[in-house]
Amino acid sequence: MNLTRRKSELVKEFSPMLEKTSTLSKIWIWSLVAIILVGAYALFLQIYKGQSVTGMRDNVVWGIYTVNFTFFLGMGYAGAFISSVLHFIKTPWKNSVSRIIEITTVLSIIIGPIFILLCIYRLDRLHYLFMYPRIQSPITWDVIAVITDLIGCFLYLYLTFIPDLAILRDNSKDLDVPKWKKNMYRYLAIGYQNTDEQKEKLHKITKTMSVIVIALAIVAYTILAWVFSLTLQPGWNSTIFAPYFIVSGLYTGVAVIILAMFLIRKYLKLEKYIRKVHFIFAGVILLILSLLFGYFTFSEYFPKWFSHKASDANLLNTLFSNYFWMFIIANYGAVLLPLVVISFKKLRTVKLITLTSVIAIICLWLNKYLIIIPTLETPYLPIQDTRPEYIYYTATWVEWALTFTGVAAFCLLFTLLIKFVPAIPMSGIIDNEEAQKKKKKRFKKLKTE
Amino acid sequence: MKNNIFKNQIIASLIIVLAFSLNALAQKNEASNYKMRFKFKTVKQTDNSRLLEVNFYGQNKKDRKDKISVADAEINFYNVLNEEEILLGSAKTSHEGIAKITVPNSQKYLINEVGLITLIAKFEGTEAIDAEEDDISIKDLFLELNLEEIDSIKTVIVNAFTIDSLGVKTPAEEVDVIISIQGMLSKMILEEGTIEDGVFEYEFPTNIPGDKEGNITVFSIIDDSDDFGNVIQQKTENWGVFDKEIKSEGNKLWSKAAPIWMYIVLSILILGVWANYVYTISFLFKIKKEGKELELAQQLENNQE
Repeated sequence: MNLTRRKSELVKEFSPMLEKTSTLSKIWIWSLVAIILVGAYALFLQIYKGQSVTGMRDNVVWGIYTVNFTFFLGMGYAGAFISSVLHFIKTPWKNSVSRIIEITTVLSIIIGPIFILLCIYRLDRLHYLFMYPRIQSPITWDVIAVITDLIGCFLYLYLTFIPDLAILRDNSKDLDVPKWKKNMYRYLAIGYQNTDEQKEKLHKITKTMSVIVIALAIVAYTILAWVFSLTLQPGWNSTIFAPYFIVSGLYTGVAVIILAMFLIRKYLKLEKYIRKVHFIFAGVILLILSLLFGYFTFSEYFPKWFSHKASDANLLNTLFSNYFWMFIIANYGAVLLPLVVISFKKLRTVKLITLTSVIAIICLWLNKYLIIIPTLETPYLPIQDTRPEYIYYTATWVEWALTFTGVAAFCLLFTLLIKFVPAIPMSGIIDNEEAQKKKKKRFKKLKTE
Repeated sequence: MKNNIFKNQIIASLIIVLAFSLNALAQKNEASNYKMRFKFKTVKQTDNSRLLEVNFYGQNKKDRKDKISVADAEINFYNVLNEEEILLGSAKTSHEGIAKITVPNSQKYLINEVGLITLIAKFEGTEAIDAEEDDISIKDLFLELNLEEIDSIKTVIVNAFTIDSLGVKTPAEEVDVIISIQGMLSKMILEEGTIEDGVFEYEFPTNIPGDKEGNITVFSIIDDSDDFGNVIQQKTENWGVFDKEIKSEGNKLWSKAAPIWMYIVLSILILGVWANYVYTISFLFKIKKEGKELELAQQLENNQE
């Protein structure tokens, strides 16, 4: 196989995604920009008028911003974990999903922390976190973990981009892209020529970074769970919160990846690379994670109901009265739906698996909402004789606008990134083809012998 | 005219209070559903002046916890003896239903043959609320509070006596007294005892720090006595004893500096991860260097050709 020719062929194959922006894509991008502009206005209002434009008050000091923060970070850590684990698995199909996972990871870890900044009114004091950190505080651990993880994921994503950037640099003559893009390819490819020494070095550091990223994902999400579970709040002070968060984070991550796979396959016409088998395999992982999620959810709430401590009983009473339907949808929907869809062969279609993932994403978001809000509404020492809005939380349009802005920003950055590098790693395709060739040769040799 | 305004004010305030009550239902808040309570008390204060106070409120006949204060009701306070009546003062009830006046210590009271002072609080009544009256008959008790160190023991000495018309002091007997000190928010009770033969002594504890200068305000209180009402006396003395300075704790979860192991674990983790980042970046520079060398070599090759 002529490697140079093959690289050129692949660049030609993927070039439409990098060169052209279809009318549909333009509508998609401008819709996202419109949502972000509404969010910018909401942000202006929040900065100008203060936190009173949100539903957060004395009791419920964390609203849907914190829900989004935990949700996005869970997604990001899960992506990092899955991506790094895939690095160690030698299977041809991983190449089709690896870049989607890597991009999901980095974007989630960028967008997640922005939501926690929205909860802070005195952002002018943010630097105090670094100037006067209390090492005993889980908040300090979380700040360190998020920053470290973000840089680690960036680095890891960049390492996986280098071979493709080099291919794009070498074949930029054939590409009808702006000059700045070509310069970026050249600059970011850091002179990578795919020589054996360079290949070995890149492989070595990517492998080490994979291990670090797996460990970091577990540590960072554990710390995030500890931000809740190391407090004495009813419903949060739980020993299984860290693994529960990790499982629900992995579950969210897989569901989002399936959704991204579906959209990329459909709109970038990549059915050749992202096949049904990928969806079925991801669906099986989704099922396993949904069952684990169900197990942890049951283990979390059953002892609370059984022990019947006053504060826990109060929390459960709130969950089963004010949040009855949300509780049922969040927990039963997230567990039963994948079980039904994946268990029956006839239902195991790409569309149904994707639909299940979408529902699972909503259920898991609601699950985070149920973890955070009802607990804050049922404190040990409730405020007496006060206005209901000081006790009960309802998100305002400002909070919803900024929530959708986060989702829109995620989608926009994703769209722009896959316009910069192909959604399917070209270097991975070449590596697979070479591996297949070697296998065939070995097989032929064995046959002739 | 004045009388009409007065009447209207009372009715209006009661209606307003009833209307804005949190638990209120229209029917429930009718004045007829409330039983009026009119409580009168007197407190002889530290400067021997006398506080006269009325608490005027309505209590729901069905739900006894439901209480509504009667505001703006004019209360007259009298000192009476047989047919003779002296008006000591008047006050209007506040939003909390409290009306109070302070009678100076120079006031000459009408006293009966056994030394009792009869005080009456009167509310004349309106169309909506009936007239109310309450009286108290008490003896004028004098309370002396002395804080002395006897044989290096800090002692609180309370003397209680009455003085008859001839100026003869009669020691009080079997009167319950409370010794307390002023705390940050309220008084803290140290001892409850009984005055015998006009005297009560109490050994003051030696572990109370007092304010920042070591001053402690001690109170002797006779609370709701049938014979004397409420009498209070106070004195301040530099009796505070500061405990030894708390030695600084070692590194604890709650101290300023965290436990050592936390610094060690965190440092190892952060250094371990960041060292790996540096290692990775250094390899990227090596790759870049090799790339440049390859590029140069290629350029040389091209030039030679």
